[in-house]
Order: sequence, then C-alpha cells, then structure tokens
Amino acid sequence: MAAPEPPPPEGSRPLSALLGGIAQAAFHGNAAVTDELLRGQLYPEAPPEEFRALRAKMGGLLQSIASADMDLNQLEAFLTAQTKKQGGITSDQAAVIAKFWKNHRTSIHESLINQSRWDNVLKNMNWRVDLKSQLRHIDQINTPVAIVEMEVGKNGQC
Amino acid sequence: MGRDAGGAANKINLIPQDFFAELCEQIIHHLNHKIPGVNTAELCQRIQTSGIEINIGDLAKIANILSFLFSTAARNNLSTEELVTTLGSAVSTLPKHALQVIRHVWNEQGKSITAAEDARNVATVGQFVDMKWKLGVAMSSDTCRSLKYPYVTVTLTVADPSGQITDKSFEMTIPQFKNFFRQFKEMASVLETV
Repeated sequence: MAAPEPPPPEGSRPLSALLGGIAQAAFHGNAAVTDELLRGQLYPEAPPEEFRALRAKMGGLLQSIASADMDLNQLEAFLTAQTKKQGGITSDQAAVIAKFWKNHRTSIHESLINQSRWDNVLKNMNWRVDLKSQLRHIDQINTPVAIVEMEVGKNGQC
Repeated sequence: MGRDAGGAANKINLIPQDFFAELCEQIIHHLNHKIPGVNTAELCQRIQTSGIEINIGDLAKIANILSFLFSTAARNNLSTEELVTTLGSAVSTLPKHALQVIRHVWNEQGKSITAAEDARNVATVGQFVDMKWKLGVAMSSDTCRSLKYPYVTVTLTVADPSGQITDKSFEMTIPQFKNFFRQFKEMASVLETV
C-alpha cells in the first residue's frame, strides 16, 4: 500500500460527495445516509467536532440555496458574500458548491415539490373504446363509448 | 327489508316531505335513464341547510333502499297497492307523508320505468357527468420558500354504477396534465373513427 497522502479536508471530491450525502438525507428522504456514514466514508481522518461543524455549515448553505431555488446570479452573489464573511467558506468551497447546485438543482427542487403534494394524485390511467352493438335502450345502439380507468391516490402511497 | 331498512326508516322520519318527494323523483329518473344518478351529496347539503341533521351516509342508504324498492316493483309490474303490500311491516314504521309520497310517485311515474330493468344488467362502470379544472401555482411551502410549482387540479363528477353521484379530485403536475390531455385526445380521435 502506498504511503497515504494527507487527505485535503477541503478537497473538492470529498466536499462534493458530502453535499450529495446531505442532499440525499435532507431532500430525498434517504434515512440511510447518516452523519457517521458520511464522516467515515469521506473524512475519516477528521476529528468529529471538525466534521460536525463542516457538515452543519454546508447543510445550512445548501438549505438556503434550495429554499430560495437560487438561479446562477443569485447563487454567485450568495456564495461571494459567504466567502467574505467571518467563518464563511473558501473560494474553492464556493466553486464546489456552485458546481453541485448547477448539477442537482432540478432534482432537488422536484423532491421539494413532491414533499408538498398532499392531495390525491393521478397514479395511472388506462382506457379503451367499446362499440355497444346491442342494448336495451335503442338510442344507445352502435354508439362508441370510451371507458377510462383512473387510479387516484395519495402521493407516495400504494 | 331487513334490519338495516329499519334503521334507515328511522332516518326517513327526519326528511321533510318535499325533500323526500324530490329524492323519489330523482330515483325514478335514474331508473328511467333520464339522469345518470342521484346527487345525494347536493341533496344532503340542501336538507342540512334547512336545519335537518342527516348525514350523507344515511341519505345514501335511504336512496339505495328506495331504488331497490322501485326497481323491484318495476320488474314485477306491481300496482300501487301491490307495492305498498311489499313494504310489509315497514309500512307501520314509515311516516305517513313518506308513504303518501311513495304512492303518489308510483301512481304518476311507476309505469314509465322501462320494463324489467334487471339489477344484474346494471352497468358495472360508472358514468361521466362533469369535469372541472383549475390551474394553480404553489408559491411557497414549509420545506421550500421559493416553490413556484404550477399544477392542475381536476374534479370529476361521476355517477357510480348504483347511481350515486360523487366527486373525485386529483392534482397533476404540468407534464402529467399534458399526458392526461394527450390520452383524451387519442380517445376522441378513436371515438370518431370507430
């Protein structure tokens, strides 16, 4: 095994993956992605306190960005402000966050929309057209009739 | 007419004569295929507005019992007196005005129910009555301040096979609505070419 390089705690790949993990847990409802899992996989050398702080900071930023559904202009302004803040982010981190949001904005926004669909939704629809050739009621003979089957139910339930 | 009829008959007491007459008329018109079904929800609301406490479940039960009564009588070509005899012991539990209405409605319109509307031949599919839609935009939610989510809500009014009219509502995203619309367009074109 080669001598391990000290993993750059703010290297782009772990951060990008961390953002992905945070998004999975916060927006896509994936309960399997725990903080412990993320720390172990991405920042195994980092002291727990340091990881917690990083996770909280990134989580907060992503939450703000997603909640405002920021476009690129808003994102740039927001991230620039964050780099100038006391205890904010580095410009490398800003770049990683920007790239992540560009790639995942649509799917995260869709998940958020899904979380607010509580009424019945149309799950499925089938149809056929019948030609009634023989009926008790004369005026309905030879009338084509469309029969539609719709499956309606609460979002996410069977 | 079993135990259930007894319970429902009690509730018949609550319904004022004119509403009861309207219910019977709607049932006859449904059996005549003049209307797709009985709008129990709408009738129930009007009865409640007039101060009567009846729930839609009870009204639906009463409608079903009356429908069964009239369709059985039609199938067997019963006269008014024969119909009253069919009621048997229930006659004594029915309020006088209800019995009066049943007699009157059967006298006037009993013959018009096309012969032998056999219960077994009643459609197993419901009938479309009406459709309403609206386009909305959800601006914000507890999970997302800037949601801006456009959606279409559709309410279908359907008469189920037993004749009860109900509303069913559901929501679609814009892509889902486009698919919904496309399906109906396809249906329309097939209906024209058949």
